[in-house]
Amino acid sequence: MNVFLTSPWIPAEWIRAHGLTSRPLWLEERLSNAPVALSAGVCAVAETTVRFAETHPADAVVFTSACDQMRRGYDEGKFRGQSRVFLFNLPATPTPAARQIYCDELRRLGRFLQEMGGAAPDTKSLWQEIRRAGEARRNLRAIAPSANARSLAEAVAAYHCDGTCSEISTCPSDDRISLALIGGAFPKSDWTLFKSVEQAGGRVTLNATKSGERSLCPEGVDAGDPFEALASGYFDHITDAFQRPNTRLYDWLKPRLPARGVRGLVLWHFTGCDLWRAEAQSLREAFGLPVLLLEAGEATGRSPRDQTRLQAFIEMLKAEG
Amino acid sequence: MFAAPRKLSLADWGERHLQLQQAGRREPFYGGPLRRHVELEKDFRLEQLQFDNSPAALRLWNFFLTENSRLHQARTAGDKIVGTMKDLGTVPVMAYALPGVRAFYPDGAWWTPCLMECSDKLLQQAAAMGVDASFCPVRAMLPAFENGEHFPKPELIICSTGAVCDDFSAIAQRLEHRGHPVFWWEIPRRRAPAVGETSCELPGKLLAPRSQVEAVRAELQRVADALGQLAGKSLGDSALTDGIRAANHIRQILADLRQAVYSAPAAPLPALEMLIAEMLAIHFCSDRPEAGLVLGELLAEAQRRMQQNQFVLPPDAVRIFWVNPVADLRAMNLLEDVGGRLCGTDFMFSHALDLIPESLPPLEALARTALADPMVGPASDRAKRIIRECQTYDAEAVVISRIPGASHCAREGESIREMVRQELGIPVVEMEIPPVCDAMLPTMTSRLEALVETARNKAKGLKPNSL
Repeated sequence: MNVFLTSPWIPAEWIRAHGLTSRPLWLEERLSNAPVALSAGVCAVAETTVRFAETHPADAVVFTSACDQMRRGYDEGKFRGQSRVFLFNLPATPTPAARQIYCDELRRLGRFLQEMGGAAPDTKSLWQEIRRAGEARRNLRAIAPSANARSLAEAVAAYHCDGTCSEISTCPSDDRISLALIGGAFPKSDWTLFKSVEQAGGRVTLNATKSGERSLCPEGVDAGDPFEALASGYFDHITDAFQRPNTRLYDWLKPRLPARGVRGLVLWHFTGCDLWRAEAQSLREAFGLPVLLLEAGEATGRSPRDQTRLQAFIEMLKAEG
Repeated sequence: MFAAPRKLSLADWGERHLQLQQAGRREPFYGGPLRRHVELEKDFRLEQLQFDNSPAALRLWNFFLTENSRLHQARTAGDKIVGTMKDLGTVPVMAYALPGVRAFYPDGAWWTPCLMECSDKLLQQAAAMGVDASFCPVRAMLPAFENGEHFPKPELIICSTGAVCDDFSAIAQRLEHRGHPVFWWEIPRRRAPAVGETSCELPGKLLAPRSQVEAVRAELQRVADALGQLAGKSLGDSALTDGIRAANHIRQILADLRQAVYSAPAAPLPALEMLIAEMLAIHFCSDRPEAGLVLGELLAEAQRRMQQNQFVLPPDAVRIFWVNPVADLRAMNLLEDVGGRLCGTDFMFSHALDLIPESLPPLEALARTALADPMVGPASDRAKRIIRECQTYDAEAVVISRIPGASHCAREGESIREMVRQELGIPVVEMEIPPVCDAMLPTMTSRLEALVETARNKAKGLKPNSL
C-alpha cells in the first residue's frame, strides 16, 4: 500500500520502517494534473488532496494540521467515511509541549500504519532508514548550490519517493539573473517555470519550495534511541511558513540568498494560501530584495501574462545592474 | 423609565436618552447619548442600525463602544495591558486573575471598519502592509497596532497558534515581523481519543485525549508565567481559581440571558444586542466587574419583558440559529427586518460560554476549556453542538455567515450545512457578509427572505426545504 504524505516534515523513514511505501503527495503527477472546481476561498492544494484521497481509497493519505484548509479537508474526508486518512497534528511552535505533541503524533501514526497493514518497525530497520535518508539529504544539500534547478527538483522528488540520492546535473555560474523560488507546494506540472525563468534570462539558484532544498532540512542523528533521533531530527529542523514564529525560515534563507547571488525572489503560491501570500512583504523587508508573486494556476509559468511579468521582473533586475 | 420594547434609530435614541435622564436614570462613567460615538469616534455605522430602546441596551452599547477609551484610561491609571489574540476566551480569564492587568482582543478591531464605515482606512493601510482583501477583515488590527488611534499598544501580546485560522495566524506573524513581539502558545487540533486512550471530558460535551490536555496545560503554564512576569506577581492556583470563579459568574449570567431570550415564545431582546452581549464573554470588554453588571441589567430587562409579555418582535418571527459572527453589525438587523429572530448562536466561541470546571486544578480546567474551542476541533463537532442547540431552541432555519477571506469559512460551512440538513431537515443558507454590506443588501435580503419563507412554508407543511 502507498502512504501519501502531504508534508516533508513527516518522516518518510517512519513509513518505510513500517514496511510501507511512502509517496510525496505534493509531487504527485496525478494530483497536479487533476482539474479542480473551486468554490470561493478554497485552496487548490487542499482541494486536490481531498479529492485524491477520495479517488484513491486503496492508498492512505496523511494530512497535517499545519494548514487550516488541509485539516478541514481531512475532516471532510472523515465525514464522507474515508478510513485510510490520517491527520498528523504538526505543531507550529518549537516549545517542549509542541515537541511532545510531535512525538505522540509519530507514535499514533505508527499505530495507524500498522492498522493499514504495516509491520511494527524494529530498531535495526529504523536505523537503516534514518541513516540512508540522512545521507541522501546531506549529499543533496551539498550539491544543491551548483545544481541545475530542474535536475535538483527531480532528485529531491526521487529522494522523497525512496530516500535515495540520484544523479544531478550541475549548472556552472553565468551572468543570468539569480532568483530564489520560495513557497509551499510546487507540483511537477508547474516545473516548466524553471524553463520560463531561463527563457527570460534568469535561473533559479535556490529552490525554497516543498519540492526543493528547504524540504531537505531534517538532520539525521546517528546515536541513541532511533525513534527519538528521528523525531528530533525532524522536529528541530522544520523550516516553514506556518511556524510561529517563522524565524527559522528566515534564518535558513538569510545566508543562502547572498551566497547564491540571489537578486530577486519569486514567491510561488496557490489561491487561498494565506500562509505563504502573507510572507511577501516580510520577505521584501527582511532581505531588501524585490519579490514577484506568481500564483499557481492551470498554466502558470507558461501563460503569456505570467511570462510577461517574469520577463519584466528579470529585465528590471538586469537594469539595476 | 421602562417603555414598551421597540427598536429605535440612532436619532430616536437621542430623544429617548433625554427622557431617561429626565426620569432620573443614572448612567455609569462611560454613559451618555449614543450619538456622541458618531461625533467623537466617527462610528458612522450607528446611523444605519436599529437599537433596542431599553436602558439596559443603552448601557450595553456605551460599554461596548467605549472600550478603547476605557483601555487608554486604564493605561493612564497604571494598569498593564495585554493583547490576547485568537483563543477567544481563555487567556483573558488568566489575565484578569491578576490585579492591575487588563486583557483585550486586538482581533476586535475587525469591527472598526464596519463601525467607521471604512472611513478609518484601516483595511487600505493593512493592504499597504502586505495584507490585502484576500485576508479576513481582522487584518484591520495590523494598522491599528501601529497608528495607536484605536486601542493602546499592549505591553504583552499573546497569541494562540497551531490549529487556528491561517489568515489570522499569518496576520499575527506579519505583526511580529513589523516589530511587535508575540508570545505564541500552541493549541493542537482537538481529536477524539483513540480506543483505549486515556481521555478527558471537556466543556461542551466533548472528549479529548489526556495527552492533548496535558500539552495545553503546559502551554498555559508558560502563558501564566509570562503574565505573572508582566504583573510582577506570580499567577498561582489561588488567583487562577478566583479568576475562574469570577469568569464563571459572568458566563452564568450570559447563559441565563441566552436561555431566557432564545427559549422565549417571542424575542424579548433583538439579535444585535444579543450579538454584542455574547461578545462580552470573551474578554469582558476590558472590564470584568462592569461586564457582569451590564449583562445582569440586560438579563433583568429580558425577564421583566417576558413577565409582562412584551416582546421586541412579533411572535410569528421565524426562529433562526446563526453561525459565525458578522463583519457588518447591520446584518443582525436585517435578519429581523425580513421576519426572522435569533434563537441560538455559534459566534466561534461557544467554549467561552460554557462554565469552566471549578472542581479541577485551575490550569487543567482552563486547558480543557481552551481545547473545547469549536475552531480547533473538527467541523463535525461544531455541527453537533449547533444541531443540539437548534433542537433545544426549536430553530426553524440556520444562517451560516461567511467571513470574507477567513480560511475556515472556505470548507467548514458545507460540512455544517450538510450535517444540519441531514439531522434536522431545516433550511440552511450560507452567505458572505463584508464589513460594510450595503452593496450586498439586496442579495442578502433576498437570501434571508427566501430562508424565512422556506421555513414558514415548511412549518405549514407546504414544501420541503430546498435552499
